[in-house]
Amino acid sequence: MTEKAILYDSTSCIACRGCQVACKQWNDNPLDKEENWGDCPQTADISASTWLKIMLNEAKSYGDDTFLFTRRACMHCTDAACIKVCPTGALSRHELGFVTYDKDICSGCGYCMEFCPFGVPQSTRNTLTGAAKMDKCTLCTTPGADRMSENYEPACVKTCPTDALVFGDRDDLVILGNQKVSELKDEGYNNASLYGENELGGLHVLYVLEDSPDRYGLPLTPEFPAMADVWQDIIQPVGLAAGGLLLAGLGLNYIIASRAKAAREKAAKKEV
Amino acid sequence: MAKEVERYSKATRYLHWMHAISFSILLLTGLILFVPALGFLAEDSWTRILPRIAAVLFVVAPMIYVPLNMKRSGRGILSAFKWGKEDIRWLLAAPRYYFLCDEEAMPPQGHMNAGQKMWWLIALVFGSLFVVTGGMMWFAKDTASPGLLQWAVIIHDVSFIVTMIMFFVHIYMSAVHPLTRPLKGGSWDSMFCNGKMSADFAKAHYAKWYEEVSENKDSG
Repeated sequence: MTEKAILYDSTSCIACRGCQVACKQWNDNPLDKEENWGDCPQTADISASTWLKIMLNEAKSYGDDTFLFTRRACMHCTDAACIKVCPTGALSRHELGFVTYDKDICSGCGYCMEFCPFGVPQSTRNTLTGAAKMDKCTLCTTPGADRMSENYEPACVKTCPTDALVFGDRDDLVILGNQKVSELKDEGYNNASLYGENELGGLHVLYVLEDSPDRYGLPLTPEFPAMADVWQDIIQPVGLAAGGLLLAGLGLNYIIASRAKAAREKAAKKEV
Repeated sequence: MAKEVERYSKATRYLHWMHAISFSILLLTGLILFVPALGFLAEDSWTRILPRIAAVLFVVAPMIYVPLNMKRSGRGILSAFKWGKEDIRWLLAAPRYYFLCDEEAMPPQGHMNAGQKMWWLIALVFGSLFVVTGGMMWFAKDTASPGLLQWAVIIHDVSFIVTMIMFFVHIYMSAVHPLTRPLKGGSWDSMFCNGKMSADFAKAHYAKWYEEVSENKDSG
């Protein structure tokens, strides 16, 4: 199937946060406690019940004091470390390329939270019992709230009044995004770039940025953590193989030793 | 009645069985992370709570045992690190013993034979690693850096594999293997029933320890 994606144009975003509201409403997520800092009452970051948040980064950009808006939510990486480390297979790849999950079989281990290069997966964790379930943006593929199977746009895209969010075939959006970047460069924004085209095998959320990604709080070169491979490619199969070989070996030992013992007893009897 | 020697005190036996129970629970619940097909068991989060209860038991048991048995604990822990030539000879002869039931080939042993000592050393080292990394994953999940938690996960899982192997070998050697299973008054009785072992079995399997014990009547 053709891979889909969201294109977020930071230069068109007015930080109205309509997408945040639409996301919460569609996914039936409760409000988090807000803290009033300055003139922007906001939660500090995404959380288990806030899957999408528009970040307001105060920065000096091209000589002006300004806000650089960015969209913080799951990036839906092609090389997704979270899928790689999930021990129960709760996290998986959707046929449209997104990273989706089955909350029922999430064991709450939190490996995805530790291995995600963007720090996206969140959970409510009971410190005493350890009971936890991970939550994050599913790009509207959550069973029961699946807009994709109905051919609807994601809730955030649907509500965006300035078309800063566009949904479509990923290949088309890469072309559109690069067009916007070259227009920005023509206007003198020399640091403009399309973030997500090649990062981590290609993200399924693409960013048109007028300044360097780190000004937006995005990692310049997000990396697939080396240790993520260790878990599923080494630890899990080695553990299973060791367990299996061991049980087979002990069974074999039992058969051989039983025979040896019987033979010795027979020989001892003869001597008597 | 055949002559018997005390091998494990009551406190030591309680500690052993507390650890046997808690480790079994931890092993079975940990298996869910190794066998993806068991993922459905995670549904109601009981797989988070049960191992924590077991982990408390696992940590609290020695915390009670050690202060009450200072001398014995100190000697026991030190003995895990004392390795001699005869231990190596024992390990080399072990395949003959366990496969061919050749009991004469074994060099005389102290309170633990080299195989038991290996398990005891592994239990000490990896048990401590379990507690430290497990504690991090329990209490520092929100505060420790992701890199540190990644290491904790890997170390915890390597410990799981090593101890799982030795755990099964231990059960097999002490309760299933043809040479140990039918022996009344052997290893099984000394840990499971009254803590005593027949003098004959002790002489045959732990000659050096038997000599010491007959002299000063001290148990481990």
